[in-house]
Amino acid sequence: MIEVAIVLLPLAGAIIAGFFGRLIGNRGAQLVTCCLLGLSAILSIVIFVDVALSGNTRVTEIFTWIDSGDLELSWAVKLDTLSAVMLLVVTVISTLIHVYSIGYMAHDKSIPRFFAYLSLFTFFMLALVTADNFVQMFFGWEGVGLASYLLIGFWYDRPSANAAAIKAFLVNRVGDVGFALGILGTFVLFGVVGFDQVFGAVSGMADTNFVFIGIEGHALTIICILLFIGAMGKSAQLGLHTWLPDAMEGPTPVSALIHAATMVTAGVFMVVRLSPMFEYAPIALQMVTYVGAATALFAATVALTQTDIKRVIAYSTCSQLGYMFFAAGVSAYSAAIFHLMTHAFFKALLFLAAGSVIHAMSDEQDMRKMGGIWRLIPVTYGVMWVGSLALAGIPPFAGFFSKDMILEAAYGAASTHGMFAFWLGVAAAFMTAFYSWRLLLMTFHGQPRADAKVMAHVHESPKVMLIPLLVLAVGAVFAGYVGYEAFVGEGRVDFWRAAVLVLPGNDAIAAGHHVPTWVKVIPLVMAVAGIGLAYVMYMLRPGLPAALVARVRPLYLFLLNKWYFDELYDAIFVRPARSLGANLWRSGDGALIDGVGPDGIAAATRSLARRASRLQTGYLYHYAFAMLVGVAGLISWYLFSQVG
Amino acid sequence: MIVQALAFYLFAGMTIASAVMVIAARNPVHSVLFLILAFFNSAGLFVLMGAEFLAMILVVVYVGAVAVLFLFVVMMLDIDLVEIRQGFLQYMPIGGLVGIILLVELLFVLGAWIAVPETAAVTGVPLPPPEQVPNTRALGVVLYTKYVYLFQASGLILLVAMIGAIVLTLRRRDGVRRQSISGQIGRRREDSVEIKKVPNRSGA
Amino acid sequence: MIADDLMIVLPELLLAGLATILLMFGVFRGNRSTPSVLMLSVAGLAVVFAVLVLRPGAHGDAFGGLFVADGFAVFMKALVLIGSAATMIMSLRYFERKQALRFEYPILMLFATLGMLMMISAGDLMSLYLGLELQSLSLYVIAAFRRDNLRSTEAGLKYFVLGALSSGMLLYGASMIYGFAGTTSFQALAAVFAETMVAGEAPSVGLVVGLVFLIAGLAFKVSAVPFHMWTPDVYEGAPTPVTAFFATAPKIAAMALFVRVVMGPFGDFVGQWQQILVVISIASMVLGALAAINQTNIKRLMAYSSIGHVGYALVGLAAGTEAGVHGVIVYMAIYLFMNIGTFACILCMRRKDVMLEGIDDLKGLSKSNPLMALVLAIFMFSMAGIPPLAGFFGKLYVFLAAIESGLYTLAVVGVLSSVVGAFYYLRIVKLMYFDEPGESFDQPVGGEMVVILVGAGAAILLFFVFPAPLLDGAAAAAAALLAG
Repeated sequence: MIEVAIVLLPLAGAIIAGFFGRLIGNRGAQLVTCCLLGLSAILSIVIFVDVALSGNTRVTEIFTWIDSGDLELSWAVKLDTLSAVMLLVVTVISTLIHVYSIGYMAHDKSIPRFFAYLSLFTFFMLALVTADNFVQMFFGWEGVGLASYLLIGFWYDRPSANAAAIKAFLVNRVGDVGFALGILGTFVLFGVVGFDQVFGAVSGMADTNFVFIGIEGHALTIICILLFIGAMGKSAQLGLHTWLPDAMEGPTPVSALIHAATMVTAGVFMVVRLSPMFEYAPIALQMVTYVGAATALFAATVALTQTDIKRVIAYSTCSQLGYMFFAAGVSAYSAAIFHLMTHAFFKALLFLAAGSVIHAMSDEQDMRKMGGIWRLIPVTYGVMWVGSLALAGIPPFAGFFSKDMILEAAYGAASTHGMFAFWLGVAAAFMTAFYSWRLLLMTFHGQPRADAKVMAHVHESPKVMLIPLLVLAVGAVFAGYVGYEAFVGEGRVDFWRAAVLVLPGNDAIAAGHHVPTWVKVIPLVMAVAGIGLAYVMYMLRPGLPAALVARVRPLYLFLLNKWYFDELYDAIFVRPARSLGANLWRSGDGALIDGVGPDGIAAATRSLARRASRLQTGYLYHYAFAMLVGVAGLISWYLFSQVG
Repeated sequence: MIVQALAFYLFAGMTIASAVMVIAARNPVHSVLFLILAFFNSAGLFVLMGAEFLAMILVVVYVGAVAVLFLFVVMMLDIDLVEIRQGFLQYMPIGGLVGIILLVELLFVLGAWIAVPETAAVTGVPLPPPEQVPNTRALGVVLYTKYVYLFQASGLILLVAMIGAIVLTLRRRDGVRRQSISGQIGRRREDSVEIKKVPNRSGA
Repeated sequence: MIADDLMIVLPELLLAGLATILLMFGVFRGNRSTPSVLMLSVAGLAVVFAVLVLRPGAHGDAFGGLFVADGFAVFMKALVLIGSAATMIMSLRYFERKQALRFEYPILMLFATLGMLMMISAGDLMSLYLGLELQSLSLYVIAAFRRDNLRSTEAGLKYFVLGALSSGMLLYGASMIYGFAGTTSFQALAAVFAETMVAGEAPSVGLVVGLVFLIAGLAFKVSAVPFHMWTPDVYEGAPTPVTAFFATAPKIAAMALFVRVVMGPFGDFVGQWQQILVVISIASMVLGALAAINQTNIKRLMAYSSIGHVGYALVGLAAGTEAGVHGVIVYMAIYLFMNIGTFACILCMRRKDVMLEGIDDLKGLSKSNPLMALVLAIFMFSMAGIPPLAGFFGKLYVFLAAIESGLYTLAVVGVLSSVVGAFYYLRIVKLMYFDEPGESFDQPVGGEMVVILVGAGAAILLFFVFPAPLLDGAAAAAAALLAG
């Protein structure tokens, strides 16, 4: 029952803080949610040891959910190495962020609501990662979307936060349509939606075709592409990524928890969880690789020019998610999850440290107005270094192990898409290092660019915020080294067991261990080069960036405006939709509906209603008479329709 | 046979005629009296069918108790006939129309009488034959055995009717003098009689 | 032989014994014993419930087919007992406050419940009639229970006169059926009709006209249009707990009886009665939706709402299939919980010890009493049939059954009228959540009310999570009815 407790404790916390927040007060809500999550995290460690290390994989059924016709579903907790890893990552990071939020949100006026949302999110995320069937996964999927919507729009009095929340919700819907269609397709094809039953039947379906929107095609490929579209929406991959940077309108702990460490990785998790299906759909895997690699590069280029500290990290998240996807695309699923885990630590660390900076700078997020504060907030500065080193992939920090493994696997896959991903990944690694140090240098070094009042007020964050930072920093340093052997090294077969499936010909990780030395070295070289360039541009020659911008102004603007994706979508989708809506409103709503549609019907209904209630006169003999008329009418009706 | 037939049409015709008069009579007391006449004729029909027990019960219960009670109530209430007539006349056309439609339909139904074949066998002959067993006894035999469930259910209905009547009408009013028998018997001389010495020439 | 019969009617026997014993207790102890009589009655109902549910083997016919105990009867009786017990608990404080607490009230409710159980188990036109009368007579009296209140007595009298008229129709229909078929037993009727069907003959017109009269009498009891006219006046006039009782248990019993009569002996004549039920059902749904819109009194509104709901339930019956019966059972079960909860809310509408019945009195309830507003909103959404609340599933099953039987018009009218009906349910939600609050209601409402409110609310809200017990039970009940 431990696993059930892990999933339900956060829900209990959310309910207590949400419904009884006024009763138990701010302190009570903080205490309850943090303690319950802490407990959940401790239990997750127990489960991790039991399941991932000792191999007790199992499915615990909580209750029967739907039993209707062919569809039979249970609410269950599926425990294998994959879900144990995810449980551990989600609960530990979530606990740390809860604690951090105590300090960060101390001055907010609706603290219990915030903590209730955070815990609710954690519950949905846990339901997602422990799902043993598609429908429960979809429930968790939509649940985290909901919680994300609530949290992005947490400061609902800011119009920009509301707009960002709605944008996130809508863009995610586009992906969810794909996901839902994919689930339906699975049900049509297999007749079941339980993972184990579906996976068991996959190999028999490898050559089945079916017709989708009039096109006959390979069934598994169609399904997997649809499912991947869902993953693209949630994990902000190229095309459906536009919501993620805007989502930074939410409070910083939310960005750290949802939009860096956990929710956005749900897409990666989904692809890995469904590896037995993707393995039989090579075309879908290629698509995953191309999209992932393109996203990794695209987001990294945009991050080069952004000036908002949180947006830089957001684009970096987007880019790192691209890495995870192309790792999954070349069948290096375990490398994808490995990077997911290390990334969760250092990206949460970076976000929280950025939050600490913002906190120190009196809610300033623009890096151009920072600088020269590294002496004032030494702890934050230190952990930011750790996070950046991990992100850039400098040994022995966590990111080095996972990112290198991914690039090696991409090269080792020895296929066109693998090479494509490899070279784009290498280029992105260079940019990653560059923008990380750009961020670090612009924020902490150089001349103070903020006004004196702000500078006078710069202070280190309270302990309650620093301690989670330090814990995460430890994770960002050691997670890669500690996990390497089990996740992707020699021990990986014993570690993962049946949680992921890789067909014999596709084992990119094994191939990745035997690549030429230059392949192993080049990411590191690139990272160091990136750091060096950033150092030159922002420390030694502070005038260089401006000169460079002047030289390649169109390119700079192109990147600064995020490749004009938002403008493009605005022109293609938003404006036509709005003008269509306006037209429909004027001609359809105004003329038709208000005239003869619902409003007309409503008016007619009201007059009918008046007449109907006027029938009720209150006179007994009227009533008796109505009954007699009724019986006579029924008999006449019967006689005329049946006999006559 | 001919006598029986004549008697049947006499009773049946009288029943219908007096039923019409119950509705049509101007004076409510007359209506009740016609109702009693209708009961008597129905009893006659029962006798013709050999159901003498039902006939007697009808007379005793409906004529002796129910109708007489009606009569008392009608006499005690002051019913304004003119007012009722007004409403009656107002709805007469449409009411009559519905009534006629219903009547025509029922006649049509009776005209198309196709009883299920087995029906005649079941309903034609009373069981057991009245020549062998008096029907009081026959009723008694099934009432407490085969139909004990219905009998008990009827008993409960009567109990509820009694409770209902008491609940809705019984009240204890203040200021109403009641006879208290125990109080009367328990009265002692000392409680009610007091002897006073009356002095001379000053009165009581 | 008789012992077997008595074992089969054990729940009814217990209830009758309980009622008479408590009657004697009340007579000797006077009105101050009412609370204890009431609580004992509730306890007794619980015992009867336990006996009913925990004896799965005690099925069969008793008294030569006069009384039928099958899975269907057990399920519907369980619902009736829940409804009776819940409304009985809800009425205690009301009558205490009105100082009109008299021990006959729980006794009459017990007798009414007994009548309902007998109706549900009726296996013969005679036992049908006696059960119906036992129930109705008790209801007439408790409708007029506040005899010093003009509206209450008026309600009782109207109900009584119209009820007598409907009984007359029912008896007339029963006598026609007897005249044409020669028997009153459901089993024998079914056998006779089956022979007719096998012979390929059309049923006698007289038989079906008799059935129409019988249906008219039953339709009066479930308050289906055009035999509904008593409902708004009686609901409004009767004391509120009595209205709550009227809206729950008797409706279920009458609907169960309706189902048993038309699906049992007349099951082979679906083609004959289907069109009549379609007409009644459409008329009920439409009138229930339309006439409720203009109401300002919430009890009157609930009357029209119940007329509409009966219309929806009859949609399932009109389908005339096992799926249809299943739909009716599910619908009535959900209806029971929604109505118990809603009336519990209405009973909590009290300001300075004055009961309120105006819909406008609910304005701004979400601010003064958020829990009650939330629960009431759940019931309103459920009644409007908005997923994922239970009311939606009730409608879904009956409409599906209708569509399977090819009654498309009926299903379309049903959906349209539920859209219209949603208007007045949602208006209440709007009043509670978006209007300026008036004075708040009296607090606290009492522990038993909170339990009933939360229990019914949870049942409606969580139905879609745990639908299996109800759906499976209803499926078994429907199968048992059609098998027997």
